Amino acid sequence: MPSLDELIDAFIELDEERVLSLVEKLVVEVPPPDILEACRKATVVIGERFEKGEYFLSELVYAGEIFRRIMDIVLPRLREEVKPVATIVLGTVEGDIHDIGKNIFKAFAEAAGFKVIDLGVDTSPERFVEAVRNYNPEIVGMSGLLTIAIESMRRVVEALKQAGLRDRVKIIIGGGRVDEYARRYTGADEWADNAMVGVRKCKQMLGLEG
Amino acid sequence: MSRSRSPEELVKERMERIEKAIDLKEPDRVPLFIFTCGDVLRKYAKGYELYFNYDKTCEASIRFASEFPVDSLGVVTAAEGFVFSLAFADYPDIAPSIRFWSGPMHDALLDRYTRWPGRELPEDSILQFIGGQFMNVEEYGRLSDDPISFINEVILPRSCLNLEKPGSAKANASLIRLGVEASRFLKFLGDLAVGLAKVGIPSLPLTFAYAPLDFIGDFLRYPTGALLDVRRYPDRVKQACEALVNPIIKIGLSLKPAGAKYAFIPLHLNEYLSPKLYSEFYWPTLRKIIEMLYDQGIKSLVFFEGWHDIHLETILDLPRGWGVAYFEKTDVRKAKKILEGHTCIMGGIPPSMLLQETPDKIKEYVRSLLEEMKPGGGFILAPGVADIPKETPSENIKALIEAVEEYGRY
Ligand code: B12
Repeated sequence: MPSLDELIDAFIELDEERVLSLVEKLVVEVPPPDILEACRKATVVIGERFEKGEYFLSELVYAGEIFRRIMDIVLPRLREEVKPVATIVLGTVEGDIHDIGKNIFKAFAEAAGFKVIDLGVDTSPERFVEAVRNYNPEIVGMSGLLTIAIESMRRVVEALKQAGLRDRVKIIIGGGRVDEYARRYTGADEWADNAMVGVRKCKQMLGLEG
Repeated sequence: MSRSRSPEELVKERMERIEKAIDLKEPDRVPLFIFTCGDVLRKYAKGYELYFNYDKTCEASIRFASEFPVDSLGVVTAAEGFVFSLAFADYPDIAPSIRFWSGPMHDALLDRYTRWPGRELPEDSILQFIGGQFMNVEEYGRLSDDPISFINEVILPRSCLNLEKPGSAKANASLIRLGVEASRFLKFLGDLAVGLAKVGIPSLPLTFAYAPLDFIGDFLRYPTGALLDVRRYPDRVKQACEALVNPIIKIGLSLKPAGAKYAFIPLHLNEYLSPKLYSEFYWPTLRKIIEMLYDQGIKSLVFFEGWHDIHLETILDLPRGWGVAYFEKTDVRKAKKILEGHTCIMGGIPPSMLLQETPDKIKEYVRSLLEEMKPGGGFILAPGVADIPKETPSENIKALIEAVEEYGRY
């Protein structure tokens, strides 16, 4: 029986084949939540390497893909749901179909223990409002890569206000074109153009971590 | 001052300004270049009209240019269509006319790469290039053996509903329709250049090229697919990139007889790649394309999208004066430290600042930026993301123009 440390190392080094063969073996005896915890540890290190400039976006995309394949093996064996840290309703905003960054953020947020309700791309303000009503999330995350996405984000915040839901959620915007200007313009609480920073800020907004 | 010049004189003066900067010299002042994918033009026309009505687009562009006299205006209210150019790379009369994919071209072929307002999307939305995965990993060999045949025989029938059965009446009729549209589009480009010149604004004589790995990501395997292939099937990817070099150069040269001088090359996967992957899978073939075009008298205007910081040094591999490095998020000051005297740098204005700040702040920003960027020449000021948001207050765009006039003089 291989150890979870071996899995963590293989994941950090992005050795896809080794990761998958380790998971196949581990899953027979190790409880799925422990495997997920190992994944979380690995993604934290991957995130650190990204921030230090040792890993790049292609490594994050690859890590996201490896994580997805691990989940494919582990999830069916998960008897009871692990209690999530919090729920995030996430989507790429109206008019925009870029989702590579959103998907990376999703993978890292999930690995960190968040439950992510993914609304996909080109998501209208109405669909955000509806999802907030249905899932009662702590956080709304919006992604956008087009300059017009900033306007769409503003409209989502506006729609949440109109629906009387704005104060129930924290709002974070992300994607390559967001910055402090965009945060102010849209009325969001936080912004991040980096998935790891985004996950950290989500935790901070909920007072979970310094 | 410029008020008294005729439009012809202004065109000449502005063109010289830009050309001097590209040639790494100090012009009379720093040129200001604006590219738009149509967002800012929605001040004058509906999104739908910009994609389907060439006359309206022309009119909107000319109105923008009259209200905001910049040194050059590039207008692209169309989607990426390089795959169609590549299919016709052996036909220089056709290839460049379908490099940008317009709404009516989509109507002709019903391609799955793009979605349009008033078609798949509500009328007031903006166009969507969604790309897709139209090739599987087993097909890299066929792509490498003969890219042009592979695109024509395998990819277009998969990616275009109307070409599903090659040789059918429907497919043939669709290609004739595409031809008609292509010539209307060319006429539009001509009308636009003439119209802009009438208000004193020159258009750069452009031709087109592409980075091979981006071609694979955008049109064949999807961007993430291409990135995973680099990991899982490195040799296949490398071979395919090599095989794409020649057809791409053919397209780049297709407009040379018509006077094209600059090959526009927007980069997509550059920011994703580590220096190691970049120098192995991306740069060698892109570099070859830029150098071979340069040898034939065509300089390149490369749009380094996203952050290009970690790859800046590789630009020094190119011959001095090879063309223009247009940066999106990379700090142009940092780029200058590395590229000064070697490469003309373009960019510098974050669009969110234009949208948000006051005219005074914008002027102050331009003043301090130009203080560093102006000396020695070789710099073109431009918004960093190939567009200006529609909601940008007019005073802010005016402030930008005034600022470059005030602080950009040599
Ligand atoms: C890949 C790409 C595409 C792919 C998209 C594939 C996909 N499914 O996403 C394809 C080829 C399909 C595409 C299409 C188009 N694109 Co595009 N595309 C890009 C490109 C090259 C990279 C974007 C990207 O994926 N970056 C990498 C990711 C990982 O970064 P990221 O999104 O910022 O994500 C990170 C963080 O921001 C964060 N994050 C992301 N989301 C969130 C959310 C939250 C809540 C948080 C906390 C964090 C977070 O985590 C990530 C990891 O750290 C950019 C240029 C560039 N380099 O930015 C142009 C770019 C975004 N595209 C552009 C354009 C214009 C288009 C098209 C309109 C082209 C056309 N004319 O047809 C269409 C868009 C159609 C539409 N309506 O959306 C322009 C936008 C310009 C503008 N003025 O708005 C850009 C900037 C290129 C340019 N400079 O001109 N594109």
